[in-house]
Amino acid sequence: MASTPSGHENKRSFTSSSNLQSSLRYGQSARPSSPHTPQQHIRSTCSSFATSSPPGASYRSEEDAIIFELGTRWIRAGFEGNNTPICVTGFGPEESRRVGDYRGWISGSSYAETSPVKLSRVADWASAYELWRMDLRDVDLGLIEDKIERVFRDIYNKYLLADAGTSRLVLVVPSVIPHPLLSSVLSTLFSRWRFPSITLLPTATMSAAAAGVRSALVVDLGWAETTATGIYEYREVATRRSTRAMKTLLQEMGKFLTKLASEESQSTTSANHEDEISVNFEYCEEVVSRLAWCRHRQSTTESNEPTDQYSSLLQKNVSIPSPSKLNSTYIDVHFSNFAEPVEKVLFGEGIREHDLDDEEKPIPLLIYNTLLSLPPDARGVCMSRIIFIGGGSKIPGVRRRILQEVDSMIKEHGWSPVRGKVIERQRQRLENLTLSKQRNLSGEDPANPLASQASQPTDQAEQKQEEEEQEQEAIDFVEQKLRRANKDKSHPPQIRGIVREVESLGAWAGASLVTSLKVRGMVEIDREKFLQHGLAGASRDLESHGHIPDRRSGLRSGGDRSSWTLGGWG
Amino acid sequence: MSRPFPYTYISCPCADTPVPDPSRKQRPRESPQKTSSEQPAPPPEEEEEEEKTFDPRSPRSNFSLYPIEQLLYCEDCHQIKCPRCITEEIVSWYCPNCLFETPSSMVRSEGNRCSRNCFNCPVCTAPLAVTALENGTEQAPLVLACAYCMWTTLDIGITFDKPTNIRAQLSKMTESSSRQRKASRTLGDLKSPLSTYSSIDEHIPTSEGNKDGSSRAEEQALDPKARFAALKSFYRNQIAETSSSPADPLGTEFGFSSPGALNRIMSLYTSSSRLAGLYGGNKKPKSKPPVMREALTTKEGLKIPSANADDSVIERMASDDCGWDGHASIEQRAFQSPDARFVEDLLPLPVLLRTKRSKRCKSCKHILVKPEFKPQSTRFRIRLIALSYIPLMTLRPLTQAPQPGLPSPSSNLDALPPLRPIQLLLTLKNHMFDPVRVSLATPSTTPSRVASKVTILCPEFDIGANSDAWEEALQNASATDPRSSRSGMLGPAEKVAEAGKVWDKGRNWTTVVLEVVPGTFPSAKDEPPLQADEDVLEIPVFVRMEWDSENQMDSSTPVGKGQGSDLVKRELAYWIVLGVGRIVDDFRM
Repeated sequence: MASTPSGHENKRSFTSSSNLQSSLRYGQSARPSSPHTPQQHIRSTCSSFATSSPPGASYRSEEDAIIFELGTRWIRAGFEGNNTPICVTGFGPEESRRVGDYRGWISGSSYAETSPVKLSRVADWASAYELWRMDLRDVDLGLIEDKIERVFRDIYNKYLLADAGTSRLVLVVPSVIPHPLLSSVLSTLFSRWRFPSITLLPTATMSAAAAGVRSALVVDLGWAETTATGIYEYREVATRRSTRAMKTLLQEMGKFLTKLASEESQSTTSANHEDEISVNFEYCEEVVSRLAWCRHRQSTTESNEPTDQYSSLLQKNVSIPSPSKLNSTYIDVHFSNFAEPVEKVLFGEGIREHDLDDEEKPIPLLIYNTLLSLPPDARGVCMSRIIFIGGGSKIPGVRRRILQEVDSMIKEHGWSPVRGKVIERQRQRLENLTLSKQRNLSGEDPANPLASQASQPTDQAEQKQEEEEQEQEAIDFVEQKLRRANKDKSHPPQIRGIVREVESLGAWAGASLVTSLKVRGMVEIDREKFLQHGLAGASRDLESHGHIPDRRSGLRSGGDRSSWTLGGWG
Repeated sequence: MSRPFPYTYISCPCADTPVPDPSRKQRPRESPQKTSSEQPAPPPEEEEEEEKTFDPRSPRSNFSLYPIEQLLYCEDCHQIKCPRCITEEIVSWYCPNCLFETPSSMVRSEGNRCSRNCFNCPVCTAPLAVTALENGTEQAPLVLACAYCMWTTLDIGITFDKPTNIRAQLSKMTESSSRQRKASRTLGDLKSPLSTYSSIDEHIPTSEGNKDGSSRAEEQALDPKARFAALKSFYRNQIAETSSSPADPLGTEFGFSSPGALNRIMSLYTSSSRLAGLYGGNKKPKSKPPVMREALTTKEGLKIPSANADDSVIERMASDDCGWDGHASIEQRAFQSPDARFVEDLLPLPVLLRTKRSKRCKSCKHILVKPEFKPQSTRFRIRLIALSYIPLMTLRPLTQAPQPGLPSPSSNLDALPPLRPIQLLLTLKNHMFDPVRVSLATPSTTPSRVASKVTILCPEFDIGANSDAWEEALQNASATDPRSSRSGMLGPAEKVAEAGKVWDKGRNWTTVVLEVVPGTFPSAKDEPPLQADEDVLEIPVFVRMEWDSENQMDSSTPVGKGQGSDLVKRELAYWIVLGVGRIVDDFRM
């Protein structure tokens, strides 16, 4: 790493002294190989080819890449190698005003007192604040392009203070993003500025990298949905999602504040609409970000002292600006009221499990299901590396509560997806059966062979699973062998099998880390290629492209730069 | 809507050319799906119309409408240029507070912020001033104080020794004392019995946790910055370690230190043996190449949050001395460390630098704006603003003298009564030295649910050429003062707006009359209520101007030709939006 800049300097001085000769030579040497490795020198500053590229081009590319993390509500931007983004900007209505429209700056207008109380439906209430929805049916892509263009221009001019388009761009995007959306983002950026290339990095994997782990379960408590992504050796192996996320939480809090407001002014508009919110969105978000919290798991059996601690907290009153008269008065609200929406939304309190749809599982169940869908090896590794990212993870107490719930779920059910009364009964019967089996050693129950056969494997697997954790270390000779092999490198064994949280610096920091280590992403979209074909030009053939033979060369996909792939986004 | 009524906005023509998406060759400007509940679906024949009426109500129009001051004009493309159709290059960086220029090499390392003494208040963003604690003296201890909200760095326990180089002092302090401050605060916070939990931060319920417990204890609570650095060096080491073996063909030339290798390292051990078999066994390394491992200790950047870390935060959130204002707002937290939750965690922010940028036309790369290099100078070397090329439009209500027997028409543009016609004067002032022919077109009803009828009484007219200011003054000395009519207040009400006739005309300006009948609000019960600003009366007007200009560009034309051939006919067409006023709902009143 350190030698590269100096080597570069040498080369540059050399080229300047004998400019013509070197350029000639470069042209000769580059031509024959170009069918195989065209443009490979462009950004591989560390490889030996980089130094032979024209100084101007490589000089440009040496500039720090700029990393944008694109979310539904916020965009983070900064330079590679920094630990925090330089700025975080939203997509609110203030950002989409006309130029020269300074209403947002008129004092007090954001918490406008004068504007009449307007009821808006819960579904529409927050829609002005998000850039896109996963459901693209009523999303105007042109509008998104406009917003993206303006936000990028503003960020470059205000915060990054760099010329847009000169340096490489790295986009950190969720691994599931609608193709039309990705396409319009990319085409906006490519056609508006002259970015040489755009690299896409997945959010979840970058969060794992920023935590220092290679495998993890990344739980993104995001805006529109919560995703639990199992990462094994930096690859996404399983993803599950739930609509219980910050948007629903804000809506719930909005409903609560609306109720407060209407209670306060009982005489006027007794709008008893369940699905309407009258309070200001910013105010509500402010309340959530300041005061939302989450209790411990209510354990029925043991009441330990932290719950006693909270019982005093629950009686406390917190004064917040009154939702109906924002700037003038404060009202007192029970502190516990700010925990209730969180628990209701994220943990689905008060709803029985079988009433829930597949897409609205509570977060602990979501995590449990994701872990369940992983193969046991990966599961053991991932469950002790749970990473929480996203806005919801900032709510104090949420992460702990989720882990407690997951832990208890594992304790209760083990790793068996089968639930229900009948199963319980069968299990009971099987237990009796095994007891009787022990009595008369080889006696199969002739009355019910089918049921026993059906449930035996799961039962056995479960038992095995339970035993595994104790026995594995002792019995598994492969493990032992591995450990012996690892001993000389003094690697402590991996922690596995317990529920544990690992804190990540966030996806943006991960991308910054990875980019500053000169690691190139799998998905690197070239300007020219994209402008010719768009997303349709991406090669679908992942097998031949990514990993297998070209990996040896160390260069990205070796000779075949003519095709590019969308990788996980394909 | 934004500005006081009446106002004019210009829509940059670049909005009509959508972003070329290579995969879908063409997309209509508005996606056909966009039929939200507030807007009835336009009839299909209207969609097929070639020239679609500009709709100021569409959410996209917010991104293409600009006040005329914001627009530039490219002399080569003969087109209006908005911030979207120019490219910018930074000329210099400077601090807007102290007006010191920052050399480009320093900008990045300073985090794009002023490296001197310029700070903004973290609470209210007003500039902070260095003040001595004791009145009169200018001796240490010094603090940064906000003159607006009275916040000082004393609130977070920071004082400075010297009045210079505050940024360096501050960063030294925060780096060294962040841990101490945190620790002292939690220890000092005797009220909460849970606060001690946070100091047993790194308790890991595993067997190997005790191995390096001592080093862990001193290294606990790495702040994000230190963690990032630790992780970075950890990855560096891992990459170096795993690619060190010289026998490994992967290690030497395109080794793991080369870019693009990490993802391959990651998948290495899964398929390497198979691969090695494929690629000639003679090169196969004796043992498997070492695999990158994960970070295992705090020193390497791993952080296991303690189970009870949140308790103290929750305690503090509920405590009486914190309250609503003790929490930092979202806005305040935007540029702070991600852990900052309370106002006490906020640090003063160095002022963001600003840039002077030169602007080029995106399509022809000609420079449109080039500012003077020095930050103190406000002058420009090149500046092609649109105002000097396209006519300046101003709108004014025509207030007629009150007639006997009739109530005087209200001139309050913020509350226009529906169905009561108003007349407006639209004045176009030409800044070019060529006379211009202008034609205006407008849809007869505004594209809003509150559809107002609009008539331009004289849609086609000429505007005279601009000339030197002195000429006007000399002419005005003899002629009657045109300002009497421009003010819109005619003494006796003898002047009546007539169709097809220009209202008034001056040397380089012309005024025409617009007649507007504000529409009524939809009264049907089932219709959704009006959106914000839907009651604003905005008129889209299509402006087309033609003029003959001297052919400056074509220098190759032979000089011997007549004067007529030197003149080139130019044409410019664009949409403007006239904001007339806000219609009041008389049903609601």
